[in-house]
Amino acid sequence: MIELEERNLEKKSFFNRLVLIYFFFGILFSFFIYQTYSLQVSSFSEYTSASLKNKTRDMLVQPARGIIYDRSGNILVNNVPSYSLIIKPWKIESLDSFISSIGKIILLNEKEMNYVNENFKKKAAYNRELTVKSNLTSEEIAKFEVRSYKYPNAFIDVRYSRQSKYPDLFSHAIGYVGGVSNDQLSDILSEQKLKQIETLYKYSNGYLIGKTGIEYTYDNLLRGSFGKKTYEVDAAGRFLRELKYEPPVVGGNLFTTLDLEAQKIALEQMNKRRGAVVAVEIETGSIVTYLSSPSFSVNDIAGGMSTMDFNALSKDTDKPFFDRAGQGRYSPASTIKPLIGLFGLQEKIINCDFTIDEPGFFILPEDQRDNRGWKKGGHGTITLNDALIQSSNTFFFSLAYESNIDKLINYLSEFGFGKNPCLDCFNSDKGLLPSPEWKMNNLNFGWFKGDTVNLGVGQGYLTATPLQLSYYSAFLANKGSQKKLSFIKGDNSESSGLNNSAITDSDWDKIHESMIGVIENPKGTARRLKSLKSYIIAAKSGTVELVSTDTKEDYQIVRENKGNRDHAIIIAFGPMPNPKYAVSVVIENGESGGSVAGPVAIEVLNSLLNK
Amino acid sequence: MKKKLNFTKFSIYFDPYLFIAITLLSVMGLVFLYSASQGDINTIAKQSVFVGFGLILMFMMSQPDPDFYNTYSGVFLIFSLILIFATMIFGKEINGAKRWLDLGIFTLQSSEIIKISLPIFLSSYLYNKHLPINLRHTFITLSLIGFTFLLIARQPDLGTGLVVLMAGAYILFLAGLSWRFIGTSFGIFLLSLPFLWNSFLEPFQRQRIQTLFNPNADPYGTGWNITQSKIAIGSGGINGKGFQEGSQAHLDFLPEAETDFIFAVVAEEFGFIGVCILLSIFFFILLRCLYLAFNARDRFCRLTIGGLSLVFASTLFINLSMVAGIIPVVGMPLPFISKGGSSLLSFYLAFGIIISMATHKKLMER
Repeated sequence: MIELEERNLEKKSFFNRLVLIYFFFGILFSFFIYQTYSLQVSSFSEYTSASLKNKTRDMLVQPARGIIYDRSGNILVNNVPSYSLIIKPWKIESLDSFISSIGKIILLNEKEMNYVNENFKKKAAYNRELTVKSNLTSEEIAKFEVRSYKYPNAFIDVRYSRQSKYPDLFSHAIGYVGGVSNDQLSDILSEQKLKQIETLYKYSNGYLIGKTGIEYTYDNLLRGSFGKKTYEVDAAGRFLRELKYEPPVVGGNLFTTLDLEAQKIALEQMNKRRGAVVAVEIETGSIVTYLSSPSFSVNDIAGGMSTMDFNALSKDTDKPFFDRAGQGRYSPASTIKPLIGLFGLQEKIINCDFTIDEPGFFILPEDQRDNRGWKKGGHGTITLNDALIQSSNTFFFSLAYESNIDKLINYLSEFGFGKNPCLDCFNSDKGLLPSPEWKMNNLNFGWFKGDTVNLGVGQGYLTATPLQLSYYSAFLANKGSQKKLSFIKGDNSESSGLNNSAITDSDWDKIHESMIGVIENPKGTARRLKSLKSYIIAAKSGTVELVSTDTKEDYQIVRENKGNRDHAIIIAFGPMPNPKYAVSVVIENGESGGSVAGPVAIEVLNSLLNK
Repeated sequence: MKKKLNFTKFSIYFDPYLFIAITLLSVMGLVFLYSASQGDINTIAKQSVFVGFGLILMFMMSQPDPDFYNTYSGVFLIFSLILIFATMIFGKEINGAKRWLDLGIFTLQSSEIIKISLPIFLSSYLYNKHLPINLRHTFITLSLIGFTFLLIARQPDLGTGLVVLMAGAYILFLAGLSWRFIGTSFGIFLLSLPFLWNSFLEPFQRQRIQTLFNPNADPYGTGWNITQSKIAIGSGGINGKGFQEGSQAHLDFLPEAETDFIFAVVAEEFGFIGVCILLSIFFFILLRCLYLAFNARDRFCRLTIGGLSLVFASTLFINLSMVAGIIPVVGMPLPFISKGGSSLLSFYLAFGIIISMATHKKLMER
């Protein structure tokens, strides 16, 4: 046993040491209180939002796209509801028995089965709905509804699909919608200050974005804004209940200037031939007809076409996907002649009474090469009026020969060549307006006088799209000015006109007279069109030479190959003397501007003017 | 203030302060657990049985004279060691750890018993040794502590192992371990830290320590527990979200909400005010133990009260510090609050013994 003295010493030492440890714990305790205080009081808001973020999950709600109308209020593109069978996977214990049971009512094909099998577990884990089958028939719906009590975890609901009412008619003008890449989607969502998260789809094929045409250019308007549903979730990400719902804003409806009837006529008239028709309302610059032929069904594309069908379409030698109206480059050929004539008047190279002796060919003084007209033996002594009506090459060769190339190029540019004439066309091409610089840079050759002479008859390097030709046609009709073209009526488009024009009103009338003569005059190149209409139309036809031949006999050999046949081309406007509509038509390998492209132009104008 | 109630023939040994405080904690624990378990009646029923049984056990353990514990401390220790060995052989393996012994009625975590019996044995071994404790006794004591620690750490249960280690160290320190020895061994400990880090800690334990310093490195993996626990505590604010309104606990974001992380549930639902009330009860119990230790009748009682109350304090602070992200995640319950029978019963046992030590007086003092 220890002594009393030591016992007191021990007692003291014990107390000191115990208090020391308690003191140590006291420090720990203070530190802990401090930590809790700083978490709960100082950083309260930070942790509150973290806790809120933890327990809520936002889901985007897809908006419906706007409806697209023609100028008379006909619906062109719509959202068509279809009925879909949707299940709640998290409530279904055995997928196999569910499928075999529901399969007796609603048959699932292999693709649908695979889709369900692949996605079932994931959707079940997160309490998400799963669409088993879309586009149910009314029979399937009826069969399901009478037995619906047997399937508490399945229901039928409406999902939309984007459908064109006239799938072949506006394939290039309106275009189509399709799925969207992740990057694009992030961009779209960030415009609305949203992040890419799970989405409740309005459409059975999910996110949609305009891929081509009006659907693309007016995507912002048509798209609408996403809504948002906020759910409470647990740590496993399961939805527990809906907390908040901000409905989506439906996309704006689009009233286009397109004319359904005229477009129908254009498609019918083109009859699957390769080419394009563009018609515009002169006063407003509204595009009323915009057709590239052959066409394809946009609904097939948007509805998820099989790879085989898609490949067949994209490998088709007629290139149905190619937008000939806005992107096809064609030489304007003889349709350029009114412009060349006007240039001659502007530059005082000629006047309306000026005549030349037309032998049927033109020999370029520089190299003695002869350039032939289409009529053997020539047209005799002719004026500008005759030259336009009969489409004399020699007249315009001579005129172009006298022209200053830089001024001529500038003049062409004022008529819209080499420029985009349209405010809202999808990927419209500018064609090619050549110049000496362009030729040097691209072909490494200087500009020859012969190039200018070729320009005089619209052959050579100059190319334009049917869209540009329609603008040019309207520009002529409007006597030297024209608003930019557009698919919607807007006041924002300014009309651009000729600079320092020396062309008098009577000169314009004479040019119009000549173009009327192209149809009305017995010698006119498009005289066959006269009987197709009940009012006066001004026109200029053209024939685009693809292979240069010197004689008609040579051409007979060339045309054996259909791809080498000349393109038929025409510009027209009417009714005269107060033209309302201007039109351009190109038919590839159609050979005759007047008699092949002409009737298409006339029928479209008929449809537009008979309203 | 010790109390001895005189009934007709026999005395009853009872400390109303500790008894009321512990009963209050136990009842609050049931309320918290009700919320943490999302109103699971089975859990609450089971826990209530443990609480009721525990309070009776505590009362019963207060009755024997300290001499009884002194005399039989060796037997208790051997019994506890047998339980540990039995666990090693017959134990139930859960998540790779073999810590539990299935006793039919309930599963016993055997290390919880030895964290009580070891300090009692050491008190009884050291209470009559001269000051300062000489090297021989120090080494015998340290070997026993080390041996027990290794047994538990191998299960593996580092948390309880550390508490046992600390319990032994407290007794040795309070009994009068020489300062020179303390200084020397602390130096050696510091030097051997890198070795301990590399060879002794399991990879997941090292990961937990690293996570402490940078929980945001992997918030959905190893940092999940600490991140979610901090969110739960922080979002409670001053007043809390209200009973059963804690989204972190109720939507399963908070891991181990019923056991180790139940403090986060309290903090989330009852806020800083609730935390302060809960902590003041714990604080009161500790201060009461300090007072009782000062007034204990002899060295054995002093050492035992001091040791057991420090085991309680250590468990408490390890749990709180872990939940608040101050120390790494170790499996450590919040005494009297967390779900789990073994730990709960061991503390009723400990406080029963503390009350016994504090209330029995030497005949000559009476």
